[in-house]
Amino acid sequence: MKISYRRRILIFLLSVFCLSVLVFAMSRLAPGDPLVSYYGDRAERMSPEEKDRAMERLGLNESMVVQYVKWVKNAVSGDFGMSFKYKQDVMKVIEGRLVNTLILGGVGFILTFLLALLLGILCAFHENSWLDRIICKVGTITSCIPEFWLSLVLILIFSVNLRLLPGSGAYALGQSSSISSRLTHLILPMVVVVMSHLWYYAYMIRNKLLEEIRQDYVLLAKAKGMSRRRIMYQHCVRNIMPAFISIMAISLPHIVEGTYIVEMVFSYPGIGTLSFESAKYHDYNMLMVLCLITGIVVIFGNITGQAISEAIDPRMKEPEIMEVAADGSR
Amino acid sequence: MEADKTFQLVGAGYKDTVVPVERKQHWWTGRPICSMVILGIIILACVGCRFFMTHDPTYMDLASYNLAPNGEFWFGTDTMGRDIFSMILYGGRISLFIGILATVLSTFIAVVYGSISGIAPGWLDEGMMRFTEILLSIPSILIIIFVQALIGKDNILVIAFVIGITSWMSISKIVRTEVRQIRESEYVIASRCMGGGFWHILRVHLLPNFVSSIMFMVVMNVRGAIVAESTLSFLGIGLPIEVISWGSMLSLAEKALMTNSWWMILIPGLFLVITLMCITNIGNYIRKNVNQRQSNM
Repeated sequence: MKISYRRRILIFLLSVFCLSVLVFAMSRLAPGDPLVSYYGDRAERMSPEEKDRAMERLGLNESMVVQYVKWVKNAVSGDFGMSFKYKQDVMKVIEGRLVNTLILGGVGFILTFLLALLLGILCAFHENSWLDRIICKVGTITSCIPEFWLSLVLILIFSVNLRLLPGSGAYALGQSSSISSRLTHLILPMVVVVMSHLWYYAYMIRNKLLEEIRQDYVLLAKAKGMSRRRIMYQHCVRNIMPAFISIMAISLPHIVEGTYIVEMVFSYPGIGTLSFESAKYHDYNMLMVLCLITGIVVIFGNITGQAISEAIDPRMKEPEIMEVAADGSR
Repeated sequence: MEADKTFQLVGAGYKDTVVPVERKQHWWTGRPICSMVILGIIILACVGCRFFMTHDPTYMDLASYNLAPNGEFWFGTDTMGRDIFSMILYGGRISLFIGILATVLSTFIAVVYGSISGIAPGWLDEGMMRFTEILLSIPSILIIIFVQALIGKDNILVIAFVIGITSWMSISKIVRTEVRQIRESEYVIASRCMGGGFWHILRVHLLPNFVSSIMFMVVMNVRGAIVAESTLSFLGIGLPIEVISWGSMLSLAEKALMTNSWWMILIPGLFLVITLMCITNIGNYIRKNVNQRQSNM
């Protein structure tokens, strides 16, 4: 087991390294003057000599490799450079918003999977009944609706027409510490995050359960007089847990993506809105860090998920996880 | 009648013998005919939009802006006075075109990348697959925004290109798995011995073998590309408002929300959702068929 942990950490570090190289190279290939992204409008008013000096100070004259090494050195000590738009340290801008995203994405993620599991069990219990069919049909429809449109429709109904819930932001003006204000602002985005992913995963869980209830041990348990409910909860659901956790791990990028889009539509002050803004204003420093943070979180989640499902069920090795992944990739 | 009754079986647990009537198998049973017809109508109407449009979709009729659906403007007009019905037909063409172009590009990249990875020696294969996993780990919307910001232009081809080069990863994984299974087959080895190049082997021997297993993903990629285009355009970093597509029509939504003009949001979105559903149904049908064949073998 120890070796495998070491191997996992190695894979993690390697992935993060590749990711950082990729993101760094992409941001340096960007068109436009990198000086502009450091100094903003001031760069345009600089004389050629001043520009040269600035280039030298920022190390932009050196080769890409040297630049990358320097960037990593700074990054390790927590210095990711300046944000062009906010004229502030990148990390400072992100710090304030990370929590918002974590609340929306994290709670959304947990809710999605709790409901997906319940829905999957419900459908598997009543396989092919009218309930199952209706849920399947409705589910397929909801999984086809793009997040941004669902958000728009919900805003139109609940915010514009019924005036029940606020349609943008994370809290009402001047009430950043009020929990009730935050909660009401959270409802609509959360509904969209959950709704748009729920059926996709509930359907996977339903199919896994349907496979499971066709196993021989279910027949044996039934012959011994176990109730349907007990067979389902004590055996079948327990047995699909490793698959469930790998599905959770694989779903991370999708849910993060959904959260970002929802944030942008609701102009919820989080990482998603920030990345959208920084793309719009060509704030590459910021965008780079945001890509990196997201990537690291997702890679970490993937590796942890695999580790957990392998710990629960040692038979669960790479190939089977891959199979679930191929099933689940859109 | 009397004779029949005397011969009837009675008693505990008596059940009327019901001979299951074999339902006649029509050619359409199990096929997503409804979806195909609707999708066909939408595609035809969009391609031949010239014949169906009631107004010029680009003409801004300043006298009649922000009108609810009525006799003259079937689906109403938007905040710039353009007829939404005509815009949907006209813009659908661009949305569908981007969906297909992006998919063609991403499928091409996926097939080539996956095949190379499948044929390559172990260490290269491992490296290439890790690379796709890293790309998969970043939410695709973030990559698309990133690449879009780097390219900095916004026209149809650029958007299709950006979506295409950011959505090939999952298909290439499947291609790689399939190629790894068949690369040691005698016919591939024979072809290599006779001097067949990479492209020849790919086209003649590998492609026909894995085309059915990636078909589902390819269809789903069309869906993903349409969603990506509309999301990008809606957010204002895809197509500009002057280029009409379903996404850029919805980018007026913010103004529509202020004036509570539901038709501007609901109608284009409904078309989008119906199209996506039809594509999904067709995709699911393809997947089911592939699975059936596998289990029979």
